[in-house]
Amino acid sequence: MAFLSKKSDDREKETYMKMSPRVVLLYLLITVFCIVVITPLVIVFSSSLREPANQASPLLLFRQFSSSSYVRAFTQMNYPATLLNSFMTTGLAVIVIVFIATMAAWPIGRIKTKYAKFFYYFFISGLIIPSQMVIVPIAQTFHRLNIPNTRFTPVIMFITCSLPFSVFLFSGFVKSVPAEIEESAYIDGASLWERFSLVVLPLLKPATVSVVITQGMWIWNDYFYPMVFISKQSQYSLPVAMLQFLGDKENPAQWNVLFAACVLCALPLIVIFMFLQKQFINGIAAGAVKG
Amino acid sequence: MASAAGQKKKRAGSNTSLTFNNRMFIFLIPALAFFLIFWIYPVLQLFYYSFTNFNGINYNYEFVGFKNYAKILSNGTVFNSIGNTMIYAVVTVALSNIIGLSMAIALNTKIRVKGFFRTAAFFPTLFSAIVVGFIWSYVYMPTNGMIASLVTLLGGDGSVFNPLGNFRIALFAIAFVEVWKGFGTTMIIYLAGLQTVDEAVLEAGRIDGCNEWQLTKLVKLPMIASTITINVILSVINGLKAFDYSFIMTNGGPGKSTKTLMYQIYEIAFTDQKMGRASAFSVVAFAFIILITILMLIFMNKREVEV
Repeated sequence: MAFLSKKSDDREKETYMKMSPRVVLLYLLITVFCIVVITPLVIVFSSSLREPANQASPLLLFRQFSSSSYVRAFTQMNYPATLLNSFMTTGLAVIVIVFIATMAAWPIGRIKTKYAKFFYYFFISGLIIPSQMVIVPIAQTFHRLNIPNTRFTPVIMFITCSLPFSVFLFSGFVKSVPAEIEESAYIDGASLWERFSLVVLPLLKPATVSVVITQGMWIWNDYFYPMVFISKQSQYSLPVAMLQFLGDKENPAQWNVLFAACVLCALPLIVIFMFLQKQFINGIAAGAVKG
Repeated sequence: MASAAGQKKKRAGSNTSLTFNNRMFIFLIPALAFFLIFWIYPVLQLFYYSFTNFNGINYNYEFVGFKNYAKILSNGTVFNSIGNTMIYAVVTVALSNIIGLSMAIALNTKIRVKGFFRTAAFFPTLFSAIVVGFIWSYVYMPTNGMIASLVTLLGGDGSVFNPLGNFRIALFAIAFVEVWKGFGTTMIIYLAGLQTVDEAVLEAGRIDGCNEWQLTKLVKLPMIASTITINVILSVINGLKAFDYSFIMTNGGPGKSTKTLMYQIYEIAFTDQKMGRASAFSVVAFAFIILITILMLIFMNKREVEV
C-alpha cells in the first residue's frame, strides 16, 4: 500500500523538509498516532491466524499461523453466497443511484426557476433524517405495497437514502458543465434524452466516481436495512452475516473465529481500496469540497 | 387578458430557455418516485402512527390521542436519550474535527511517506460499523481485552478497567469508537481543503515573519473556513444518527446510559413492539434534529461571514 501511494506523491517532485529536531518530533507524533490507531487491527489480524482453541493473550502477536479459524468463520458465514449477495445488492444499488440521481440533478442544476430550487432543497433535506427514525412507517409501507422480502428489498432503501447526497453532488457538477455544449447539441437536433445520455452524462464522470465510492462504501457496510428486511440466511449480505457472532464478542474463547470473520467481512473492501486508493481519497474529498 | 398572457410568457421566458425548458423536469420522475414513496410518505406517516397504539402486527389499532407523547415525556426516556445524543454528538464532532484537522495539517507539510500515514489514518473508515463494534468490544473488555491486558502488562490492575460497564463513561467510550472510525474521512476533507490554500499567500506570510503556528492560525484556518463548516455539519449529522455502537456494543446499557435517540426508537419499536410509541418518539426526535440543524445553519452562516 505504501508504495502505491508513494508513487503519486513522488510525481509532484517534492523537496522534503530537512531533518531538524522539530521535524523529527513531527514524524514521531504522526508515527505514534498511526500506531495507536492501527494496533487494534493488527491484534485482530494476528489472532485471526490462530487456531480457534488458542487462548494465549492476543497481545503475543503472530506466534501461530493457522487457517482453521478462517475455515470455521468461512463456513459459519456461508461466505461465497454472502459475498455474492453483497456484490449484487451493492452493485445494483449503485448503478440505479448513478442513473436516477444524474437524471434528477440535470434539470435541478440547469433550470434556474424557483421550482428547480425547491426540488434541490427538497432532496437535500433528506440528508438530516436518520433512517432508524423512519423505520417503522417504512416497514409498513413495504408491507402495504406487498413488496416481498428478497435479498434485493434493502436495495430500495439504499437507493432512497443515497438520493439526497447524490442529487446534491451531481447538481453541483451539472452547473460546471458549460451550457454552450448542450446548446450546440440542441441546435444539431439532439432530443432531450440524447442530450442527457450522450452529452451531459459522460461529462459527469468525476462526480460519478465520487458518488460510487461514498455511497458504495456505506451501502456495502450497512447492516441495518438488511437486518430489518431479510430473514433467510441464504439472502444475507456480509455485514448481516456478522450479526450471528453478536453473542461471541463477550466470550474470549470465541475470539479467534470472530476475528477471522471480521477480517473476511472487511477484506473485499480493503482489496478494492488498495487498487483504487487515489479514487477513494479524491472521491471522498470531491464529495465534500465541490458539492 | 392579452397582456397578462404576455407577461406570463415573458416571466417563463426569462427563467428558462429553448434549450433548458421545463420538459427537462420529466427526468426528475424516477428519483422523485423513490423519494416520495419510501421517504416522504413514511415520514408523514410517523405523525399518523404516533397517535395510535399500533403494535406492528395487529391492524385493528385504535387512536389514543396524545397518550404516546405523554408517556414518553413523563417517563423521561426522551430527555435521557436527547441528552445522550447531545453528549455523543459533541464528543464526536469535537474530537474527529480536532484530530482530523491536526493530522491534515501535519500531513500537509512536506514529509516523507505521507501516503502511508494517510492510508493508515484512513484505514478504519473502510470497516463496517458491525466489525468495528466487535473489534472495540474486544479492546474495551475487562481483564482479557486489549487495553486491560496492556494495563496488566505495565503492572496495573487490568480487571478494574471496564469502560462499557461504567454508566458514567460508557457513552464517551462508544463516542470514541465513532471518532476512531470517522476521523479519517474528516482528515481527507481537511487535506483537500488545505491543498487549495495558495502557496504564494503562505510565502508572503513567511516573508512578513510569521512562524508556522501563526501561518496556520492566521492564514490557513481562515482560508479553509468553508471546509471547516462542511466537516462540522457532516459530523453533526453523523453524530445525531448515533445508533451502531449502542446497538452492537452496549445494548443501550449500563442502565440507560448509552440509549441514544435512534437506539431508543429501535428498542421501543422492535424489542417492545410498540410501533405507535416509537413513532411518537420519532416525531420528537425529528423536531429536535430540525431544531439543531436550523441553529447550526444560523450559527455557521454568521461565523463564515465574520471570517
